[in-house]
Amino acid sequence: MPDSAGARRPYLQPLSRSWWLKHSFFLRYMLREATVLPLLFFCGCLLAGLYSLSQGESQYQSWLAFMAQPWVIALNALVLLASLYHAKTFFELFPRVMPLLPAPLMIAGQWLGTLLVALFLLWLFGAIG
Amino acid sequence: MQIITTDIIVVGGGGAGLRAAIAAAETRPDARISLLSKVYPMRSHTVAAEGGAAAVTLAEDSLDAHFQDTVAGSDWLADQLVVEHFVKAAYQELVQLEHWGCPWSRKADGSIQVRRFGGMKTERTWFAADKTGFHILHTLFQTSMKYPAIRRLDEFFVLDLLVSEQQVLGVLALQLNSGELFQILAPKVILATGGAGRLFHYNTNGGIVTGDGMALAYRHGVALRDMEFVQYHPTGLPGSGILITEAARGEGGILLNKDGYRYLQDYGLGPETPLGQPQNKYMELGPRDKLSQAFWQQQQAGLTADYQGHAVVYLDLRHLGVQKLAERLPFICELSRSYVNIDPVQQPIPIRPAVHYTMGGILTELQGETSISGLYAVGECASVGLHGANRLGSNSLTELLVFGKAAGEHAAQSLPPMPRSQSTAATEQAQTQQRRLASLFGGKQQQSIASLRKAMTLAMEQGCGIYRDEQGMQQCRTTLVSLQQQLAGLKVSDHSKVFNAELIQYLELSFGLEVALTLCESALARKESRGAHQRLDPGLTQRNDQDFLQHTLAYRAADGRVALRYQPVRITCLPPAARVYGAAAKQGA
Amino acid sequence: MEKTIIIQRYNPEQDQAPSAKRYQVPFDHSTSVLDALLYIQQQLDPTLAFRWSCRMAICGSCGVMVNKIPKLGCKTFLRDYPAELTISALDHFPIEKDLISDMAVFLDHLQAVKPYLINDSQNTEPHRQTPAQLKKYQKFSSCINCGLCYAACPQFGLNPEFLGPAAIVTAQRYNLDSRDQGKAQRMPQLNGKNGVWACTFVGFCADVCPKQLDPAAAVNQGKVASATDMLISIFKP
Ligand SMILES: Cc1cc2nc3c(=O)[nH]c(=O)nc-3n(C[C@H](O)[C@H](O)[C@H](O)COP(=O)(O)OP(=O)(O)OC[C@H]3O[C@@H](n4cnc5c(N)ncnc54)[C@H](O)[C@@H]3O)c2cc1C
Ligand code: SF4
Ligand code: FES
Repeated sequence: MPDSAGARRPYLQPLSRSWWLKHSFFLRYMLREATVLPLLFFCGCLLAGLYSLSQGESQYQSWLAFMAQPWVIALNALVLLASLYHAKTFFELFPRVMPLLPAPLMIAGQWLGTLLVALFLLWLFGAIG
Repeated sequence: MQIITTDIIVVGGGGAGLRAAIAAAETRPDARISLLSKVYPMRSHTVAAEGGAAAVTLAEDSLDAHFQDTVAGSDWLADQLVVEHFVKAAYQELVQLEHWGCPWSRKADGSIQVRRFGGMKTERTWFAADKTGFHILHTLFQTSMKYPAIRRLDEFFVLDLLVSEQQVLGVLALQLNSGELFQILAPKVILATGGAGRLFHYNTNGGIVTGDGMALAYRHGVALRDMEFVQYHPTGLPGSGILITEAARGEGGILLNKDGYRYLQDYGLGPETPLGQPQNKYMELGPRDKLSQAFWQQQQAGLTADYQGHAVVYLDLRHLGVQKLAERLPFICELSRSYVNIDPVQQPIPIRPAVHYTMGGILTELQGETSISGLYAVGECASVGLHGANRLGSNSLTELLVFGKAAGEHAAQSLPPMPRSQSTAATEQAQTQQRRLASLFGGKQQQSIASLRKAMTLAMEQGCGIYRDEQGMQQCRTTLVSLQQQLAGLKVSDHSKVFNAELIQYLELSFGLEVALTLCESALARKESRGAHQRLDPGLTQRNDQDFLQHTLAYRAADGRVALRYQPVRITCLPPAARVYGAAAKQGA
Repeated sequence: MEKTIIIQRYNPEQDQAPSAKRYQVPFDHSTSVLDALLYIQQQLDPTLAFRWSCRMAICGSCGVMVNKIPKLGCKTFLRDYPAELTISALDHFPIEKDLISDMAVFLDHLQAVKPYLINDSQNTEPHRQTPAQLKKYQKFSSCINCGLCYAACPQFGLNPEFLGPAAIVTAQRYNLDSRDQGKAQRMPQLNGKNGVWACTFVGFCADVCPKQLDPAAAVNQGKVASATDMLISIFKP
């Protein structure tokens, strides 16, 4: 390419930090990515639980008490919602990446799978059956 | 002004230009090949072709049959030697494209599928879904990226050829994004600038199809051949001219006038075929020129309808049903819904004929050579002699490949051994042009370039349209000459350098007017009716082989006027016969 | 009937940055944004610069932002918008003038993925390819190179070196072609830091693609291919 700048002066609009506010599509994307924050909290809880278990019965009891506080429950409810939302977006994207079957079928299949795993775990820990 | 020296210049990045550049690069990988185009190559109008590309493929087909269809289709004005060469080379070229990755449509066993096409007796048209031109263009464009020898100069507008003593020296081009002038020097220049459909008001062509290359060559004394032959396509959308392909009629679409009557039966195309049973060469599947002519007759008789100020007839697809429309004609349904806001399931589509293809062009030999040494022309801008008075659909895409390759190879093989030193003749010409360019700028004008262009396209539609007569063409000529004068007095009011749209439109219009004049003069002088050139004047409504089995050659005289000469038609084995369709064809056969 | 078109104009020879100008444009039910721009150029202001050619959504020239969403001007209709609409050059590309952006980077990325069939067979007959094999890549071969997906991609906006949706679509188009043997040559580009892994599956590209190619899917199918490719290379001696 001949390098004639001539009268050229291309203008490049820098991408503003708030680019994701420009459009509802980007907002939804950011929401999807943000679901990781509540999940972090949940993982923290879990790790604390494990640690407390290794520290003996009383430690574990106080962890249980901590977990029973209303605001912790509320936060964990949020975690559940967030991961459901994330699962929804993930399940919808997956058939596009691995187009094995018609998309609606694959999405339904994934939800069914989730349900089965959830039931199995519940059964395993004796919550049902 | 910057100077670039190179070995081969290709002007045009459509199918023809890309094929030529690749052929040159394969022949001489060490050569420097500059591919110039006023738009990015993949924007070229080859992209819009839908139907397909012809080559003898099936066992029951023969080269002879393709030859005969082409010559008969041309109303015996094709150069038979050229047609012979073409039908022979066609198949290998389509295979070559397959090897480069073109996604041709296939039969269940994985072999190439061929379809029926207007004017061809047997199935021999290769296609890639309903986007053949698109796939050909992108396959060629992407393949061209493989060759380091090919250097693209995207968005370079060629203003002039540099020529001295009948030898081409290069081109003068404007880089659109900087407004800089470039002298690009090479011993070989291949013009592949496409057709001139935009000279007419109603056309199926893209905005860039303005006949530039034809004018470039013509201004340097090369003849434009058979310019009077312009193909109308019977089914364009009103206003935009967007093409509704033949496939719509092939599937069983019918044409109705404003009273809902299938008028084609009144014009030698009957008898009426039953609904849903289309038959090749009858009624809606008659040849393009006859269908367009029937529209004109209906318009004269006051039987066309009005769609926002455009005279139209209707393409009715409703009887095909939702299912079939969605399956077989999805693109057509989409176009109709988008561009005329009509759902073909519910309502008939308003359509009218629109200029589709320029059969004429720069006179060349078999390998694309012109009368200027080192200068070649290929593709729609050229007249190698394949189409005569009427082109068969699907021959032209193959033409781009066959003759693009021939020209590219020939240019590469005959490169002079030594790079030439810079030429003072070229520099002088370039400087003259530079001064001329500078003189085009001025203050704001009463008249706009857009209004002159519109006047030209309307004049052409009226004077040199589907049917022509002496008086109308003379009127058209007078208008064109006056427009040329008005344009010469006009100034470009936009003084900017970067992407100066007004300047480019000025230059395109000045090219276009020049080409339009050759078209009009050639048509005036052809006192007969043949193929796409149909006259109404008494005594001239029939073909006249006695006097006009000849090519028209239009030259630019010293005073700027058009000078005409004639050239005999090369006939190798198929003597002229009548060209008939519908029931008449059956009687004759 | 008229609508107001607001255009972000930029003349590099005069302006520091783009600024808005308003135009009144008549319209009917078939007037496209491209028709409106042509009207402005022909009737109101001949200096307005934009690209177009085919006016039937196949050449890919006419991409612009319409109300901040990437669109083909020739396939977007005034009838679908309220009384005012704003048009500007495609996001994330440098603006040359008015609505014309510099597409050089797009073409460089396209070229980088070796967008051609790599196959050294010397056969003079066509390859066999069944309709099912054709279908595997056919959709991805319909990219018109309009660049709308790049204007929709924040990752490309942040990092112009990212190959971007269309280039990866094209790489996938050839990788999935039964006639092609060049996948190994394309993978280094796709595996690299500006290849598929730069994509975070925002997915907006799929929404704006005028040919419904789902470029996001192509990129993420590319991730699967890339991961497989890397795994294989780890375990291969
Ligand atoms: C809607 C439509 C459908 C068609 N369908 C079929 C079909 O089914 N089958 C068939 O066989 N044929 C078909 N045709 C005809 C066929 O597509 C064309 O004849 C063919 O594509 C022309 O190719 P080309 O390479 O000669 O020119 P184009 O593809 O038009 O390319 C011209 C090139 O020249 C460049 N150029 C022009 N002027 C300049 C300049 N001054 N400076 C620099 N560059 C310049 C342009 O940028 C462009 O790159 C169809 C045509 C149309 C319009
Ligand atoms: S993938 Fe779609 S949006 Fe992107 S360039 Fe291709 S056609 Fe345009
Ligand atoms: S003008 Fe060709 S895509 Fe819009």
